[in-house]
Amino acid sequence: MASRVTSDSPNSDASGSASQDHEKEDSKNFECNICLDTARDAVVSMCGHLFCWPCLHQWLETRPTRQVCPVCKAGISKDKVIPLYGRGSTDQQDPREKLPPRPPGQRAEPENTGPFPGFGFGDGGFQMSFGIGAFPFTFFASTFNFGNDGRPAPPQAGSPQHADEQFLSQVFLFMAVFFIIWLMLA
Amino acid sequence: MASMEKRLQKELQALLRDPPLGVTVDSDKTSRSLSEWTVDLEGAPGTLYQGEKFQLAFKFGPRYPFESPQVIFTGSNIPVHPHVYSNGHICLSILTDDWSPALSVQSVCLSIVSMLSSCKEKKRPPDNSIYVKTCSKNPKNTKWWYHDDTV
Ligand SMILES: [Zn+2]
Ligand SMILES: [Zn+2]
Repeated sequence: MASRVTSDSPNSDASGSASQDHEKEDSKNFECNICLDTARDAVVSMCGHLFCWPCLHQWLETRPTRQVCPVCKAGISKDKVIPLYGRGSTDQQDPREKLPPRPPGQRAEPENTGPFPGFGFGDGGFQMSFGIGAFPFTFFASTFNFGNDGRPAPPQAGSPQHADEQFLSQVFLFMAVFFIIWLMLA
Repeated sequence: MASMEKRLQKELQALLRDPPLGVTVDSDKTSRSLSEWTVDLEGAPGTLYQGEKFQLAFKFGPRYPFESPQVIFTGSNIPVHPHVYSNGHICLSILTDDWSPALSVQSVCLSIVSMLSSCKEKKRPPDNSIYVKTCSKNPKNTKWWYHDDTV
């Protein structure tokens, strides 16, 4: 019946010293689940499974309508894999020049703890000014939203613009108080 | 094509080095062409197929492992099983719809052994005679309607 051929690397059977076995086990942890080689241009799925990006890409192209992790069948997609950059990987060719391109890493911005960092009491006037409604709305809206994204930073304290805004906010505060009093008296 | 051969070479080496119980690669036939393998299976002890010997024929296309291999029982003894047709075709979802490139010759063999092992009654599929007369030679061309997985 079946006979065994010798595998084509003759030492693999003969010299199975403990340390070599251990090394083999170690490198196995970094084998691509598709080509069974050490993963190159490695990406890891949200479910934690490691692939070469070219291998995974080819699998996603094979079944574009049903993209699942080859190992655990969890949903998987190009946007939801994370590239792994080991030490020394920068020596290699720029992965963007390779086909298919590996998806980029995503840098989440650190979250701000306070909604209006760096602004003090003066804000109160701005908020009240909305309630009154008779003011150049867009100007204040743009001053307001600076915390969210790439908008210009608030004017430095002491700059003429800052002084103007402080003055305006005091005016609004005053008018708001006046308006409320007027409502109460009316 | 090259990646398919590289992977099959790796699988073959692993199976020869460390074969699972009851699974033996017939390396005489396999070494001639990496794209066609013959694997000997033994029915697991304590099951209806204890002591029986079977043969599986694997055919790998150039897109393996992204496409499943073609796997059929071959030789003189085709197991009598509700998911195995008398021409050797096997109704097993991982061979078509549920194939994944993380599966391998070894995992396919083990799935087939376990499919045999869980069998409660040796019988052919109910549509065996019609299917065998009308089917394509390649079971991958069959639109399988998968029977329940419990048998
Ligand atoms: Zn790979
Ligand atoms: Zn997974």
